[in-house]
Amino acid sequence: MARDPKHDILFEPIQIGPKTLRNRFYQVPHCIGAGSDRPGFQAAHRSVKAEGGWAGINTEYCSIHPESDDTHRLSARLWDDGDVHNLRAMCDEVHRYGALAGVELWYGGAHSPNMESRSTPRGPSQYASEFETMTYCKEMDLNDIKQVQGYYVEAALRARDAGFDIVYVYGAHSYLPLQFLSPFYNKRTDHYGGSLENRARFWLETLEQVGRAVGKDCAIATRFAVDSLYGTSGIEAEVDGVKFAKLADPLVDVWDIDVGDIAEWGEDAGPSRFYLQGHQVPWTKFIKQVVKKPVLGVGRFTDPEKMVEIVTKGYADIIGAARPSIADPFLPKKIEEGRYDDIRVCIGCNVCISRWEIGGPPMICTQNATAGEEFRRGWHPEKFKKKGSQDSVLVIGAGPSGGECSRVLMERGYTVHLYDTAAKIGGHINELALLPGLGEWGYHRDYRETQITKLAKKNKECQVALGQKPMTATDALAYGADRIVIATGSSWNTDGTNCLSHDPIPGADASRDDQLTPEQVILGKKKIGKRVVIVNADTYFMAPSIAEKLAAAGHEVTLVTGVHLANYMHFTLEYPNMMRRLHELHVNVLEHEFCSKIEPGRMQAYNIWGDGSKRTYRGPGKPPRDENQSHHWIEFDSLILVTGRHSHDSLHRELHAKTGEWEKNGVKAVYLIGDAEAPRLIADATFSGHRLAREIEEANPQLPLPYKREVAKWGVAHVAGTSAALEYKV
Amino acid sequence: MATKILVAVKQVTALDEDFEIRADGRDVDADFFLRDLNEWDDFSLEEAVKIKEAGGEVEVVVVTVGPEEADESLRKCLAKGADRAIRIWDEAMEGSDSQAIARVLAAAVQQQNPDLVFAGVQSSDHSFASTGIALAGLLNWPHAAVVNQFEFSPGATQAVIRRELEGGVLQMMSIDLPAVLSIQLGINTPRYASLRTIKQAAAKPIEQVGLSDLGLSATDVGEAGSASRVRRMYIPEKGRAEMIEGSLAEQAAKLAAIIKEFKGASA
Repeated sequence: MARDPKHDILFEPIQIGPKTLRNRFYQVPHCIGAGSDRPGFQAAHRSVKAEGGWAGINTEYCSIHPESDDTHRLSARLWDDGDVHNLRAMCDEVHRYGALAGVELWYGGAHSPNMESRSTPRGPSQYASEFETMTYCKEMDLNDIKQVQGYYVEAALRARDAGFDIVYVYGAHSYLPLQFLSPFYNKRTDHYGGSLENRARFWLETLEQVGRAVGKDCAIATRFAVDSLYGTSGIEAEVDGVKFAKLADPLVDVWDIDVGDIAEWGEDAGPSRFYLQGHQVPWTKFIKQVVKKPVLGVGRFTDPEKMVEIVTKGYADIIGAARPSIADPFLPKKIEEGRYDDIRVCIGCNVCISRWEIGGPPMICTQNATAGEEFRRGWHPEKFKKKGSQDSVLVIGAGPSGGECSRVLMERGYTVHLYDTAAKIGGHINELALLPGLGEWGYHRDYRETQITKLAKKNKECQVALGQKPMTATDALAYGADRIVIATGSSWNTDGTNCLSHDPIPGADASRDDQLTPEQVILGKKKIGKRVVIVNADTYFMAPSIAEKLAAAGHEVTLVTGVHLANYMHFTLEYPNMMRRLHELHVNVLEHEFCSKIEPGRMQAYNIWGDGSKRTYRGPGKPPRDENQSHHWIEFDSLILVTGRHSHDSLHRELHAKTGEWEKNGVKAVYLIGDAEAPRLIADATFSGHRLAREIEEANPQLPLPYKREVAKWGVAHVAGTSAALEYKV
Repeated sequence: MATKILVAVKQVTALDEDFEIRADGRDVDADFFLRDLNEWDDFSLEEAVKIKEAGGEVEVVVVTVGPEEADESLRKCLAKGADRAIRIWDEAMEGSDSQAIARVLAAAVQQQNPDLVFAGVQSSDHSFASTGIALAGLLNWPHAAVVNQFEFSPGATQAVIRRELEGGVLQMMSIDLPAVLSIQLGINTPRYASLRTIKQAAAKPIEQVGLSDLGLSATDVGEAGSASRVRRMYIPEKGRAEMIEGSLAEQAAKLAAIIKEFKGASA
């Protein structure tokens, strides 16, 4: 099919300085955990997007000097020729598919803790970072300013030598240029502080110097957070935002605009829980009105209708995307070919971002199991190796792992029978998507449902049997499949078993009318009383989601949490607004408290630190700490147990107890994937199904094949021609 | 004596996303067909298999009129529990309308001598909803259409059925056997075939029956034996919609211009 002509405007080329973007799809700089140290990962992840039709592809933020070192987080670096060598691989691969390669030159100031380099960051004034609260910067004198601007120029020259087409001066997310621009950071009284013209001076001079150095060969971009969202304390879009844009416009070739800062950058990379597509437009739209150069902006754009609106209404010329390009590297191609229902729509869960926030593990994606696996496992997001045998596969369970496993096996040409007791593909996503703000998570199910339905139509030997009775081991053996995949998921514990005690909580029993698991709350079949107590030992979204749902419905909610409530939501950038939400709903959070026992109508809570700070050896059978005396009773009408999950693995166990019957039934192997193997993130459950489907011909597909590792090799110097030997300077 | 249920099924065609009309303009080009068992037939087969599984001596025979590719649908029926499958075809049958198909099926019924014939209420591709009833007419058997509940004990001479009427009204009736029933969607929950039964079905024979086997001649079937013929198949022109934007005055002016254009008047 051809694309809808109304989307033609997205495929018009556009000039940026000396370069031309072939269309309006642009992968803005975003982190992946590759940097300059995993060049294969970097080159493969970026170039697969070039193949998928994006016109411009960027690195993540790229440090210009050891003075801007974000360790424990992972940035790219252009500090030396070793980095040039490694990043050149990305440029070459991106160029092979006709896209432009860009690099986001970054100096963090007080936001970069310099844990590797141990250098001192410099800033416009001295302050402690609100992001890295233990890091202070040194206030720059005029000489410092010249020196740091020189770092930008030297890094820009290295970027050009590496083959980059677009060179950024990165001023969004409150990094150095914006620190000079914003009165929140800049308290100077010289000609770099005070008036807007003075506060803009550092950024403008840097743009001019970088432009002079590489502007003939490279397009000069700047990323600008046009509104800090602090009101008058920071940059406001219609005040300093537009004024700065007018001043800098002659010095840039393309504007990359967003909103917010670094400490709460979920206001930029808005999770779907709180923000819809295009949520920044009310702030960013002012820039296009005052500049002559092309403007690009992000907003988790996945819908071509919305993209066309952004361009035709004059909010931006180019559609910037980070998360949508991760979820579907082939988004532009699919729009171009009119394959709209093949688009793997970003669900906005921000699990990709969580890995950067954690501090460096490779990026993962809930929707796209191949993200980050392009180089090391050789997984292409849209291409699959043809099946390696005529074996038929029965997949039991159509949730994230079973659905993904079936989809990939079907793509490979296998005959797959997908079987589930539920009437709909999706497993527990069907429940999660009913929680407050999680509707878009349903796209994970929708993508698999659409693809599996299509693939089963193409290969009539495939079958999707939904709404079936639970399958027994005898049924599974008699089914006639060569291979059986168990993807039966997991559920929340009904007896309070948790990560703190590794045992049930005495009295916990969700078969009672006044106690519920999260699933029971979502399904809504049990009556829930006015006073609700949530017992929490889970550090992701379930407890706050249930609290939000019930508090919004008028219940009085007390949340007793023995673990850091919603800790993982710091990493997905959902934490600040989740906390605001609980606050505005008057949810009573009791931190450092957990539950020792439950009786009808009341639960006993205790402070987890109530057992005394002194540890003493008192002999066998005697605990080394004092008896916890902090116990107290809390009354409830309904109690919700968010304590832990367990796998539904009984079918797998039963099948393994009958291995003697496999051969006569023609069963060659039985595998266990997803939450049925061990409860985990949806992204990891999806991955486990995907991996099994890719590796099902291997000797033992239950266990992953080794992947290609990118690590420094002893004896090989990072910078060619330097020494890699151990040498003391004595 | 065993109760025999004949289930008349059809391999229907669905259309691919893009398709073209055949050069003679009377059908869609067969290259664009996606073929599958008619949805209604899944339910009538299930109803027959359920009777068999409930006990008693019951034989379920599926029969279709169609070329070789229809074997795929018959095998699907075998995998879901039919005992035998019969495919009737002769090139002369090409272009048969529902009456001509009913004539072919009537000849097969007379040879097979079943106690019950199930047909789907309609086929999803041509939707005439007449083959089953035409067959009953040719056989001069009792018949009932749009059956959504069926009670029968193998060996009985009567069955009790429920039918769907207009306005949500239901009709319970008893019917003497042998009879022809057209079965409605939702009467049951059709089963899925397992990989094992699919493999077993692949090894089962499909009886092939031709014109002369049924004592029919070429003039009884195809266009010659049909009471109706397709003249033309086409895709209707789509209407166009346009959002008129601007101030009220601008919108009015634009609308006036469009009306004038359609009337053919000069602006």
